[in-house]
Amino acid sequence: MTEPRVWSVTQVNRAVRSLLEDTIESLWISGEVANWTRARSGHCYFTLKDEQAQLRCVMFKTEAATLPADPEGGTTVRAFGGLTLYEARGEYQLVVRRLEAEDAEGLWRQAFERLRATLEAEGLLASERKRALPRFPETLGVVTSLAGAALADILTVVRRRAPWTRVIVRDTRVQGEGAGDEVAEAIRALGASGLVDVLIVGRGGGSLEDLWAFNEEAVARAIVACPVPVISAVGHEVDVTISDLVADVRAPTPSAGAETAVKDGDGLSDVLGITRSRMSGALRAIVFRRREVLGVRRSQLRRSGVGLVQPRRELLGRAGDRMESAIRGLATLKRARLSEVTAKMDVLSPLATLRRGYALPQDVNGRILRTVDAFEEGDRFSLRVSDGSVPCEVRGGP
Amino acid sequence: MTKKTKSDSAPSLEDRLKRLEEIVRSLEAADLDMEGALTLFEEGVEHVRGAEATLRVAELKVEELLGPEEDPVVRPLEEDPE
Repeated sequence: MTEPRVWSVTQVNRAVRSLLEDTIESLWISGEVANWTRARSGHCYFTLKDEQAQLRCVMFKTEAATLPADPEGGTTVRAFGGLTLYEARGEYQLVVRRLEAEDAEGLWRQAFERLRATLEAEGLLASERKRALPRFPETLGVVTSLAGAALADILTVVRRRAPWTRVIVRDTRVQGEGAGDEVAEAIRALGASGLVDVLIVGRGGGSLEDLWAFNEEAVARAIVACPVPVISAVGHEVDVTISDLVADVRAPTPSAGAETAVKDGDGLSDVLGITRSRMSGALRAIVFRRREVLGVRRSQLRRSGVGLVQPRRELLGRAGDRMESAIRGLATLKRARLSEVTAKMDVLSPLATLRRGYALPQDVNGRILRTVDAFEEGDRFSLRVSDGSVPCEVRGGP
Repeated sequence: MTKKTKSDSAPSLEDRLKRLEEIVRSLEAADLDMEGALTLFEEGVEHVRGAEATLRVAELKVEELLGPEEDPVVRPLEEDPE
């Protein structure tokens, strides 16, 4: 009789492990999550169970990092992975490579709702918090990927509508592990630069996982803390992200975000034209009213003068005449001033006056020197003529 | 909006338009003396001109913000020809 073959524990476990790994292909398993723990190493350990049975599971760091959040206990999930044996303990387990909540996207929604509830409780989603956008930003900040379509879309819109706008981009990855932190950092950097009047944060469309960075708490906090208003422009029309909820304005797409940020130049030209004619009209009205008042005053004076003069015409005749001519002189003077004003208004431009041969003396601060008193011996000033300025100095005193 | 990085430059489009609104309102309220109205009007014309000059800028300036938050650098962004 030969001795029975004796296996070492290691040999047995190795053999069983091979048996498990070689004979059962990777598979999907459905069950309820229990005892979820995320170790310091980043690996996650949990149990999948149903009414009668339990199965040990491990999800290693790399795969676990793709989860939006740790699933809550009791969540029904689908796990995809391979069976193996953990030789050191002789326990068999499922090495999970993908984990999804039973309803598609459920885990993501869980994480989304959890963060939304937190932010809401802090009052960060309140509509009173929303800041108004500057109507005509001088500088527009953009947080997105330099490689993405979103930037090209935004630039196309700004170039068409408001090419005078300065655009400052902060490049960031917008998807994949760590993208959320990068986006948050980019928002902080542009905000802290003090250079931009408004910020667009966004990217083009993609799957829920692709857009996930914009559902991360770090991004939400950075938007909330940003010193200038933020427009969130993520994905397509239908995608709503946490960043949309906390931003001052939500735009359905990056292009729409740009349209929200910059107004149309053509419309602005019209506004300026209207402003110009409103100013002229108002000034004309003021001038017109002045004239009326002058006219009324003059006839009032004349009438009262006549009343005074009549009874003692002989005595007061000369005085009356003098008064009359004084009034007339005054009126002429005022009228001369008025027509001067009207002329100025019609040409709109001090340059038009200069072209006719007049010159405009201005002090170093650009103030117009109107009277003799404004000139002091030794003062430097400049004489503005139609094609430029001539430096001058006062000599000999006024 | 005033920022220390911008304060020395010409008024922004936003500032000009805001001021223009005030000017038009004051002029239309018409409780001004002639001298005051004229001064306002001249200031208004200046802002209209300034704003129109801004609108004539045709070349979009695109830059990139680089470097850490504490020590940022801005440089022109080379765009791929589309």
